[in-house]
Amino acid sequence: MSKPNIKSLDMMKFTAMVPTREEKIAAAPAKKLPELKSYKANELAAALHPTVQHLVVAEVIDAAPDVKTFVLKADAEAGTKSLAYFSAGQYLSLSLKIGESTITRPYSLSSSPQEALEGKYMLTIKRAGEGLVSNFILDNWKVGEKVTASAPLGVFTYELLRDAGTVIGLAGGSGITPFRSLAKAIADGDEDAKLILLYGSRTLEDAVFQAEFKELEKSCDKFKLVNVLSDAEAEGCEHGFITADLIKKYAPADEDYSIFMCGPQAMYNFADKEIATLGIRRKFVRHELFGEYRNPEKDADFPKGKEGKYTLSVKMAGKEFTIPCTSEESLLVAMERAGIAAPAQCRSGICGYCHSQLLKGDVYVPKSVDGRRLADLQFGYIHPCITFPVSDVSIDVPPARTV
Amino acid sequence: MDRQYDVIVVGAGNGGLVAAANCAKHGLKTLLLEKHNIPGGCATSFVRGRFEFEPSLHELCSVGTPENPDTVYKIFDELGAKIDWRYENNMYRVIAKGENGYDVTVKGGIDGYCDSIEAACPGSRKSVKAFLDLVVNCKQAVEYITKKKGNPNKLVMALKYGNFMRCASHSVEEVQIALGMPEKARNIVNTYWGYLGVPTDELNCMHYLNMVTGYVKDGAAMPAKRSHELSEALIKVFQDNGGEVWYNSEVTEFLTDESGRINGVVANGDKLFAKEIISNVIPNNVYSRMDEKKVPENDLKLANAREFGISLETVYIGCDCTAEELGVKDYTVFVVNDPNPRVEHDTRGLYIVNSLNKVVPESSPEGTCTLFFTYLCYGSDIPKDLKPEEYKKWKNAHAEKYIKDYEELMGIDIRSHIEEISVATPVTFARYLGTPDGTIYGYKLSGWDHLMSRTAHVKADFTIPGLTFVGGHSSRGDGYSSSYIIGYQHSNQVINRLKGGN
Repeated sequence: MSKPNIKSLDMMKFTAMVPTREEKIAAAPAKKLPELKSYKANELAAALHPTVQHLVVAEVIDAAPDVKTFVLKADAEAGTKSLAYFSAGQYLSLSLKIGESTITRPYSLSSSPQEALEGKYMLTIKRAGEGLVSNFILDNWKVGEKVTASAPLGVFTYELLRDAGTVIGLAGGSGITPFRSLAKAIADGDEDAKLILLYGSRTLEDAVFQAEFKELEKSCDKFKLVNVLSDAEAEGCEHGFITADLIKKYAPADEDYSIFMCGPQAMYNFADKEIATLGIRRKFVRHELFGEYRNPEKDADFPKGKEGKYTLSVKMAGKEFTIPCTSEESLLVAMERAGIAAPAQCRSGICGYCHSQLLKGDVYVPKSVDGRRLADLQFGYIHPCITFPVSDVSIDVPPARTV
Repeated sequence: MDRQYDVIVVGAGNGGLVAAANCAKHGLKTLLLEKHNIPGGCATSFVRGRFEFEPSLHELCSVGTPENPDTVYKIFDELGAKIDWRYENNMYRVIAKGENGYDVTVKGGIDGYCDSIEAACPGSRKSVKAFLDLVVNCKQAVEYITKKKGNPNKLVMALKYGNFMRCASHSVEEVQIALGMPEKARNIVNTYWGYLGVPTDELNCMHYLNMVTGYVKDGAAMPAKRSHELSEALIKVFQDNGGEVWYNSEVTEFLTDESGRINGVVANGDKLFAKEIISNVIPNNVYSRMDEKKVPENDLKLANAREFGISLETVYIGCDCTAEELGVKDYTVFVVNDPNPRVEHDTRGLYIVNSLNKVVPESSPEGTCTLFFTYLCYGSDIPKDLKPEEYKKWKNAHAEKYIKDYEELMGIDIRSHIEEISVATPVTFARYLGTPDGTIYGYKLSGWDHLMSRTAHVKADFTIPGLTFVGGHSSRGDGYSSSYIIGYQHSNQVINRLKGGN
């Protein structure tokens, strides 16, 4: 064998490079390229994450006083052939036009993933004092109403690789909706977990899904419901609030458990203090979205004396708007009031979908809900859903994609 | 609404960002259109709980330092993009399973590199050093060819740049074997094949050599605030120079005039016109969004002739303990089921584990760390009968397999520390990038379709007037540095055409 030498390689092969390429190209057909949906990865992506879902109200069910469940089906006429599958705990962001306003709202799916395969989604919506959109839906949606929704979104889901085998669900009021989905997903064998649901209501009459939950408890030994009534006493129910003692009473004594909570901000504030006394690792405590941030001006770190009405200039893909805004309301709400279709999904500062650029002016962003990326802070980007003006402000916002 | 620009850049991925920033910097009226709500394509970040994850960057090549700037550093510097760079000078640890397996940590710098491989494979030093040294002749040749504007004197090439010609027309392993490099050393040296997606018995030697020597010389660089920092820094340059960027503005159509020249696009229902269009969108998706009859037969044939590059399954984990507590010591660990790259490729036997805290300690909150698993695969690996409702279980089962495998290999417990986890697959990339089968790497850098043959043929590959391609599907192939460099080079050609002169 001769000594290793790079000169044993034919350098003239270099001159064959281009002719070889040309031969390959010449030999290929000049046919139309395959459509994207013919690729498996793209087909699944489109099925799981449609840009928009066109739905139609198929049924309205009275669930409790001032609570209705809307059954939604795919609106094939409008172009949605089937409903996107999802994980229990996810939500839909609805796009609505109310008067002059274009508004979005996230609502957890109360239906199970299995029910989506059967062709229906369910949203269970409660009338609320400040709930402009919820009240509008309860008053206006009838069978046949056309609804524009996002794909299923959100990360308030059970993760087998992360969460404990037992979930203690803390539900407050309409925060029950994702837990109906999870309870049914467990019963259907779609989630491998045990759910002990502590469901806080004022009275038993306010508690929804009671008959269904009873049936689920009978048919599935991985689900248990405990009604916790604040304003009433009833047989088989706990009385008061969801305290650390109550959690301890129902939680497994000798193994880890995850706490999932969904409800109003006041419930989170209370429950977080209680849970802190239990010494549970942070990874085992999960909150659903906080929702609209209210009363920013009452925050200790709100800029003093900056409450007031201001002017908001919006640049949006070549269009410009000048509208009023106030320090009481987020920049997103100001745009919605003016009928500007701004992008929004979680409305809680977290998902980043409304990511926009602050061009000029001063704003207040509550630290507790500031879900921005680090570079966003450096380069001046904001999430308008939790950003409040404290001067005249100019921003650059992408147009909503679902419109 | 009709609007006229000098340049419209379609897609704010790495190639599009640099191209757009460069055009604006040269005073061209430039519009950048991006279908997502943020820039970057793969160069972005996402937040889960208290963690902000890096979704794609492993090690940025060819950056260098302010004292010794390399190509990427120079491009960012010339554009005026300021980045908080952090460096990793160790190259990698590679654990090969099986009978002829090994566990080797490879250091950076020419001596460190050669010493590491010599220690693992005695007698290999000379051949490894000779391999690295080939890059000198290759670089000189490229400089000469550039100086001759692509028309070098054949005799000069043959006399002075023979080794370049050999490297440019042979596979990595053909060259290494000719240099007498022992098999074990070859396998260790070729650990990086996954970064280009093609095993080294097929991968073009010049391309690989360029990358490896880049890492040996400069180490790897990472931005302090995930890749989102890179992308927003480039947007800042673009805007500071008068550029206009529209997000959530997907181009649904490429417009042509009667002569077949691309002269505009449609986005948000508006027609937008420009003298030149730069596409960061893969040619397949451009051709399907324009008048079919205007796609030249040659260009269409090329698209049909090509294979798609690899995609990935990735697992992002936020742990509620530090890397030290977890027992993670290295920034980059390659785990392979066999030492041989071809076997690794054909059996999908390669995954990479990164812990960014090793390079950017504050990249996750105090008392925590992140792990990033990358498994090489193709979109076409997804079972054809996988239903949407089975997808999450399918991807989680894969994630669990890699986690378990790594736990057993390293003797550590990851599972009980998982505070956040997110799993991406080719489906995620198909959704986010919109590429066929979720390819991240554009077209496969195959035996005939590699860096050198693409570069030599670029003008004949893409013949639609008014349209220039940048990005991972372009002539340099995939990777952050390649996309930045090609975005810069190809936009310079556009600038020259519009502004004249050199």
